[in-house]
Amino acid sequence: MGWAVCPIRFAKEGDRFFIGQSAVRRRPIISGADLAPSLSRGGPRQPPFLRCLPAAFPSPRRSCSAAMFVSDCRREFYDVIVSQRVLLLVASDVDALCACKILQALFQCDHVPYTLVPVSGWQELETAFLEHKDQFKYFVFINCGANVDLLEILQPEEDTVFFVCDSHRPINVVNVYNDTQIKLLVKQDDDLDVPAYDDIFRDDEDEEEDSENESDGSEPSEKRRRFEEDVIERTMKRRQRREWEARRREILFDYEQYEYHGTSSAMVMFDLAWMMSKDLNDMLWWAIVGLTDQWVQDKITQMKYVTDIGILQRHVSRHNHRNEDEENSLSIDCMRIAFEYDLRLALYQHWSLYESLCNTSYTSASLKLWSVQGQKRLQEFLADMGLPLKQVKQKFNSMDMSLKENLREMIEESASKFGMKDLRVQTFSIHFGFKNKFSASDIVYAAVSLMENVEKEGPEAANFIKALDSLSRGNLDKLHQGLNLAKKQLRAIHQTIASCICTNLVISQGPFLYCSLMETKNKRCKLLPLIMAAPMDVEQGTVIMVGIPPETESSDKKNFFGRAFEKAADSTNSRTLHNHFDMSIIELKTEDRSKFLDALISLLS
Amino acid sequence: MEPAEVEFLAEKELVTIVPNFSLDRIHLIGGDLGPFNPGLPVEVPVWLAISLKQRQKCRVIAPEWMDVGKLEEIRDQERKEDTFTRMPSPYYMELTKLLLNYASDNIPKADEIRTLVKDTWDTRIAKLRLSADSFVRQQEVHAKLDNLTLMEINTTGTFLTQALDHMYKLRTNLQPGETAHSQDF
Repeated sequence: MGWAVCPIRFAKEGDRFFIGQSAVRRRPIISGADLAPSLSRGGPRQPPFLRCLPAAFPSPRRSCSAAMFVSDCRREFYDVIVSQRVLLLVASDVDALCACKILQALFQCDHVPYTLVPVSGWQELETAFLEHKDQFKYFVFINCGANVDLLEILQPEEDTVFFVCDSHRPINVVNVYNDTQIKLLVKQDDDLDVPAYDDIFRDDEDEEEDSENESDGSEPSEKRRRFEEDVIERTMKRRQRREWEARRREILFDYEQYEYHGTSSAMVMFDLAWMMSKDLNDMLWWAIVGLTDQWVQDKITQMKYVTDIGILQRHVSRHNHRNEDEENSLSIDCMRIAFEYDLRLALYQHWSLYESLCNTSYTSASLKLWSVQGQKRLQEFLADMGLPLKQVKQKFNSMDMSLKENLREMIEESASKFGMKDLRVQTFSIHFGFKNKFSASDIVYAAVSLMENVEKEGPEAANFIKALDSLSRGNLDKLHQGLNLAKKQLRAIHQTIASCICTNLVISQGPFLYCSLMETKNKRCKLLPLIMAAPMDVEQGTVIMVGIPPETESSDKKNFFGRAFEKAADSTNSRTLHNHFDMSIIELKTEDRSKFLDALISLLS
Repeated sequence: MEPAEVEFLAEKELVTIVPNFSLDRIHLIGGDLGPFNPGLPVEVPVWLAISLKQRQKCRVIAPEWMDVGKLEEIRDQERKEDTFTRMPSPYYMELTKLLLNYASDNIPKADEIRTLVKDTWDTRIAKLRLSADSFVRQQEVHAKLDNLTLMEINTTGTFLTQALDHMYKLRTNLQPGETAHSQDF
């Protein structure tokens, strides 16, 4: 049976499990051994690990035209919701935050009543939906929901409409071909490669016709002849059908094999604002931060990043051309955005240059700073540029002006001697007031660290709201808090990595490298993909695993681990949970880890 | 009065905006406003202008006195004269603050304007302090000051009246010997 994939969902009290044909022609298959163990035992409510594979042939309303991409954003999306109450479900990444900010600004201008619900995984999405489905008809999903069959999971009412603005790809085919309830806010020139409608869906009326033909018949000989003809016809049809199914499986497999990311949702939202002529410099800045987040988190290719930067650059010059004009120059308090060909060092203007060099993944990996050799190389690098150690270790803003002046060019020259060719990157920076200057990546790191802040200071969504606030210019204190947290986070990350590598925790498992934090010699690590595991919840004995594809020059950032994990889990009946919107991150029961890894090894070799 | 109240009164002043939406004439208790047509300037009270600007529905045009040259002249004249000169608007301080806070991207050379208006304000308040000081010292009964704006009056008003009250109390307590009968033993 072709495996159309669905993320794992929790069984809740009162869930009905369809076994066998249901009236709606769906046939979920429930993986035997794991059938809601706690529910059947009546024990304490532990999250059961349950898997549901939905049907072979879901039947959306037939649509020949290219699906449910919203072509005129304004008319089909904004004008529809401007007079209604809307529920915003926003995923927990910086791109989603930025898209949310832009949309909030538009809503505030037009007095649209909305409710904002941050969601960090599929569970929260479902809970939020169930809570609110009676009060709202229009739902907007930001950076979640495109890569699964939304109607199947959420089962909304007939008149509910979902607007999905998600950068996850590939978009689930059901979402693409449903023309009433799901509207996708996606840029048309994103290369989507959605399979054609007829290749994947077909109506099953032919089967029923066959059975009727049998009952007709008058004379025995004619009946016999017709019977033979019928048999031949039926076998032909069945063969055709099998061929079609096989082709369909192949097409779907190719389509859903790799996970990747499309255009940033923040940029899509900015486009919407621009089409309505309501775009502002603030919104442009948020779009920039959203794009930078995709690049910092390594979600898009260098090509795509550069193309998108070009698009944004045009908008930036449109909004900010008055800065050059002496006659009518803007007040210093107004926000200005400037294009920069800046260094790729994390937070270097808010830290010391030395710390920044040590704690940026690019430099620390190129110079191999976890080893003694690496440290020496760093010293050589600094000496090559003529930067005295004392200067480099103090706060960047206090460095001598003479050193700072040509810093970027100097570093670039020296860096290429040490094998770091891409130390400079095209980006933007924002400038308001006399002392506030931030680069887009600074904001990204700050917001990420605020969201992932482990010290829970308040209710659940407080971190999300804090990160959201830090994106506004008025909340500089939160931004600075975020920057401090980001420094701590980066330092911790790099120390952990250094210790991992030094103590040989990275094991080569054949087709991939495996690193388990917490337990107990790496060679050609560059070309192999990496799987990292870390304990997630000690009481429940789960482990979180992340699959990272290999880093190559021409990598297209397509991640095959989502499907690989699913298949491995399937074949070993391991209890896994896909709670994250990214399919390549799963939670796994610790006991199942070894057999899961074995299955994965056999799968990938 | 509270400064906030004075600002509230100042928001009734009219200012020109260029809207980007269209709306028919609206009838409010204080008068009629509009009609609004995109691209055509229209005069509205400052409170409406600020609200529309915050919702990105208009562009504010600076009042004609809010110009670097004119404000420089006013400031220089204020510094020359001993008495108060006539200000371009009875609410010049409040209007400057409101417009520069919310619509500074529509006003050219906003920083210089802010500095000039502040200089003028400082000069006038200094003059006011001087004259209040001499009033109290020389125990005058009556003073007349022209061309003061409500905000300036409000700034010194409370202090001045309380100071005079205190002076009066102190002065009456200085002469108890005349009226009180002391007991001679």
